[in-house]
Amino acid sequence: MSDGVLTPPAARQGPGRMPTALVDALDLVVARHAAGALPGDRRAAGIGSGTELAQLRPYVIGDDVRQIDPSATARAGEPHVRLQVPERTLTTWLVLDLSPSMAFGTAERLKADVAEGVALVLGRLAIRRAGRLAMVTFGAGRPRLLPPRGSRPGFVALRRVLSQGVAQDGTNERDALAHALVRVGKVASQSGFVAVISDFREQHGWERPLGALRARHSVLAIEVTDPRESELPAVGRLALVDPETGERVEVDTSRRRVRERFAELERERREGVARELRRLHVDHVTLSTDRDWLLDLGRRLR
Amino acid sequence: MTLAALTFASPTWLFALALVPLALLAYVASRRNARRYAVRFTAVPAVRLAAGVVPAWRRHLPAALALAALAALVVALAKPQRSVAVPIERASIMLVTDHSRSMLATDVAPDRLAAAQRAARTFIDQLPKPVRLGAVAFSDTPDAVQSPSSDHDQARAIVDGQVADGATATGDALQVAIDALRRDVQKGKRPPQAIVLLSDGKTTVGPDPVPIARMAGQLKVRIYTVALGTRDATVPNPNPFGSPLSVAPDPDTLRRIAQASGGRAFTAEDNDELSTIYKTLGSQLGTRKVKKEATASFAIAGLVLLLGAAAASMRWAGRLP
Repeated sequence: MSDGVLTPPAARQGPGRMPTALVDALDLVVARHAAGALPGDRRAAGIGSGTELAQLRPYVIGDDVRQIDPSATARAGEPHVRLQVPERTLTTWLVLDLSPSMAFGTAERLKADVAEGVALVLGRLAIRRAGRLAMVTFGAGRPRLLPPRGSRPGFVALRRVLSQGVAQDGTNERDALAHALVRVGKVASQSGFVAVISDFREQHGWERPLGALRARHSVLAIEVTDPRESELPAVGRLALVDPETGERVEVDTSRRRVRERFAELERERREGVARELRRLHVDHVTLSTDRDWLLDLGRRLR
Repeated sequence: MTLAALTFASPTWLFALALVPLALLAYVASRRNARRYAVRFTAVPAVRLAAGVVPAWRRHLPAALALAALAALVVALAKPQRSVAVPIERASIMLVTDHSRSMLATDVAPDRLAAAQRAARTFIDQLPKPVRLGAVAFSDTPDAVQSPSSDHDQARAIVDGQVADGATATGDALQVAIDALRRDVQKGKRPPQAIVLLSDGKTTVGPDPVPIARMAGQLKVRIYTVALGTRDATVPNPNPFGSPLSVAPDPDTLRRIAQASGGRAFTAEDNDELSTIYKTLGSQLGTRKVKKEATASFAIAGLVLLLGAAAASMRWAGRLP
């Protein structure tokens, strides 16, 4: 297994055009999705520690005297301080799949290109309003964690990770997604917005950690697919190799029974993923490589 | 048919069998090439499930059949031959049987003479019809002579009519048998001839049989000898006051007789051995080995294998190999 060796895929197309107007429109949509995870509706930091009352309690030595509440002190006859619910900035966690199966695409671009575009858009939105951006990559050997960073540094780190490409063929970790989610759950102490960008293919045991994350964070699952993965074309005999396991198989695609069975198996698999995400109350967006993914992302999130 | 029984008319062609490993190498190389140009595809496990698992033997069956066909056709080119035993059309055999007094000994059940008669009868039954058979029964002198004829019953009558009595005149008997064979001329020449000599004791009267056997060898008459009896056998003395007479067989003389004429010597100490010897003699003298071309069966096998390879390939791979 190549441990953490990344290469830009040869057929890389880039995420394509990302019109600013569309990204701005998406800002509102994503903001609404991330809402509810935070008290105070994510007012910007720097104008005080908060506006909403959390509790009043007697003054103890060491408390900030500016927090003493006059009316409460007058009513009670001894000094009381007023504690507010702190208002925080939003931290966006991107959980990005870099497994070799992402370097696959038969339509306009690779799945990795779509994932890159989604990561860029969400990253750009994350650093608005003093938000912070953190990232966990998996599927390429040792998982990488970029700690939450604000503004430019966060975005620059994201761009650097994206430019390195995806894992080389032969990297096969079936529980990489689960490990990455567990890691996010441990590191992200404050509630935030978690976007999982993956093809959810050949991954096991991610349901529980995702459910645990859902309890504290606002989670969005973005599944990237390719049309070829849902049906085989009738092109005669094919020798196929799996980029992750290196498993080889010869298949006669001119046999209708094989094509139908394949389509059925893949549909069952995708429905299984969707059913699991629905059960966990996780927002689920499916983006395909043959469509305008930005438009689809906005449409599905609305 | 065993492989060891195969001979080849043009064995040089067998060097072409080196083609088989070469073809195997080419096949392995082509499989490796096909693997190198496999298409990257992410849903391979689903494809494998959809296509079903093709067992390894079935994937390689067409190639294996084609290789077997190649081998069979190469062997066919080398013109394989098989040696088979066919009944002899023309031959003459003289049965020379001893019925001296020593044949009364009971060391071979029920006694030597009866055992010899039974074995001789099975020998006669075994001979193919066209073989001409004669017989000489002897004790003091050759007393019953039947020249070779295709009527085996006459020889059988002589064999059956023996009574054990008298001495052993092996030399005289052989001489009579050779004379009878010498007279046996068919279509201007003598057929292959042999003498089967059964005796149980020393030559007691008449000339030394070994020079006569040498003469038989010059006449291309092979003498197959059978020494019957055990060494400690005795018969009652005709003199009521004498001790029993020893009637040990004389295998040495008989062996020399066989060697002098180019035949083989056997010794039989009981009934079973005697029957086995006569059976062997019957199949040896009654048949001859002929080389038969086996090219056709190999060619047909090659063709069938080739067709099988084509059919298997069409069925499972959708193309000819």
